[in-house]
Amino acid sequence: MSEALLEARGLTRRFGALAAVNGVSIAFEEGRVHALIGPNGAGKSTFLNLLSGELRATSGEVRLRGEDVTQATPDRLSRLGIGRTYQTANLFPELSCSGCVWLAAQSRLRTSMVFLRPAERYAEVGQRAARALQACGLSARGGDIAGQLSYGEQRQLEIAMTLATEPALLLLDEPLAGLGPDEAERVVDLIRQVARGRTVILVEHDMEAVFSIADAVTVLVDGRVLETGSPQQVRQSAAVREAYLGEEIP
Amino acid sequence: MKGRVLLLAGAAALGAIAFSGDRFWLQFLGKAMIGCILAISLDLLVGFTGLVSLAHSAFFGLSAYALAGLTNGLGWSNPLVTLPLCLLAAAAAALLIGWLSLRATGVYFIMVTLAFTQMLFYLFNDAPALGGSDGLYVQDRPISSRTASYVLIWCALLLVYVLLSRILRAPYGRVLEGIRGNEQRMRSLGYPTRRYKLVAFVIASALAGLAGYLDATLYGFVNPAQLGWRQSGLVLVTVLLGGKGTLYGPALGALLLAFIEHYGERVTEHWNALIAALVIAVVLFLPRGLAGLFQRSARV
Repeated sequence: MSEALLEARGLTRRFGALAAVNGVSIAFEEGRVHALIGPNGAGKSTFLNLLSGELRATSGEVRLRGEDVTQATPDRLSRLGIGRTYQTANLFPELSCSGCVWLAAQSRLRTSMVFLRPAERYAEVGQRAARALQACGLSARGGDIAGQLSYGEQRQLEIAMTLATEPALLLLDEPLAGLGPDEAERVVDLIRQVARGRTVILVEHDMEAVFSIADAVTVLVDGRVLETGSPQQVRQSAAVREAYLGEEIP
Repeated sequence: MKGRVLLLAGAAALGAIAFSGDRFWLQFLGKAMIGCILAISLDLLVGFTGLVSLAHSAFFGLSAYALAGLTNGLGWSNPLVTLPLCLLAAAAAALLIGWLSLRATGVYFIMVTLAFTQMLFYLFNDAPALGGSDGLYVQDRPISSRTASYVLIWCALLLVYVLLSRILRAPYGRVLEGIRGNEQRMRSLGYPTRRYKLVAFVIASALAGLAGYLDATLYGFVNPAQLGWRQSGLVLVTVLLGGKGTLYGPALGALLLAFIEHYGERVTEHWNALIAALVIAVVLFLPRGLAGLFQRSARV
């Protein structure tokens, strides 16, 4: 078993009386695609927000390469190598695609507190941005305004922005939500491609996609881990079938 | 580019006025250009960072009062000494006020800046040692020649414009644009956004302090009304009238308002109503302000 890049230990987040995430412990191993599935309200998104620092844990801890990062802010976690995408496209709608990816790429400069040197002189930022756009098949759309892209393309841009920060770990929150079959297929290919050499945590409702991409699957129900295993194990698990009562698992 | 030529022509024309030696125009346009500096520095916050501050006049006034204090209290008037000290005073106050205010966002940020501004207003208004509601004379002005003051103001305006244009093209300026567009996303991309906003607040406020210093130098007089939030509100209106997020738009707005104020006063004592009507018309028909008249699809 390879080493865990990121580890949640007894992670809990309460909203009032509701424990949206309740004592979740999962180890995410380096270089693998680990999917989180579960019915609506299972706490998947809350869990992701805890990992990316957007929510504070009520108790428990998150460790990145063994270091405690439970209290770290989103910007610090990003700099430590955790990149994420959001359920709804979360872009800079007024900027061009290049502009969006540029901002992401520029975040890897040691500092952006540079006041007099024109930004375009930073060739390495431009290259990083161009690479990310290209990886996501958006090279031709660089000049287009992000807010005017199709929904599917916005998802691609979202992933391109995250790639431009060169993350070691990628958190993808329902990257296929709201996509048509063709678009979904394109994004699935994209995820497969970006997963090479990276660790990915994937929250997704599309079971077919999950089972085709993931190396490991964790099922969350009511804020707790129901089961973790290979896609094969999870697919055959009686408990999982029961949790998804009435829903079909392919 | 045509826009750049127009700007240079306008700047040259303003500079040429210095040679006229005409008392009225030097005073009038000097004041108008101080308004330009105030407006374009506030544009850095309102137009480029998405931060609406009502504290801009506070830093203008603090710097002007600092000058009065330095000359009256210590007998220092040399601009090479007083100018840096007054800017430093404005920047230090901005660091503290900004650090506290930026814990709030959106409309709460506006309210907190308003509260600080009013605190300072009453401090200067009610303390006899600070001149009270009458204000203070700057007994020994750093520059007494009207022409020299005018040239200094003109240079300052050009410098501020060039400096802000440079900053906006640099990596830092891009970060501000990103914060305006989607601050939460900027955080998740690895930018500690509050720190960037604080620096913008300090830069803009120091430049407001520059405007205050020039104003006190030109008039030799400071009063608490210059510190009050109504002044901040007026600068904000100037920025919106001119077109936020363009730099040259707010400068244009400041010049226009100065002319309306001057000539409007002759037509009617209710010239403020003229400004109000203009603001309403611009908001309704020119959502991008006066700058919208010069833009086709050009983007900064």
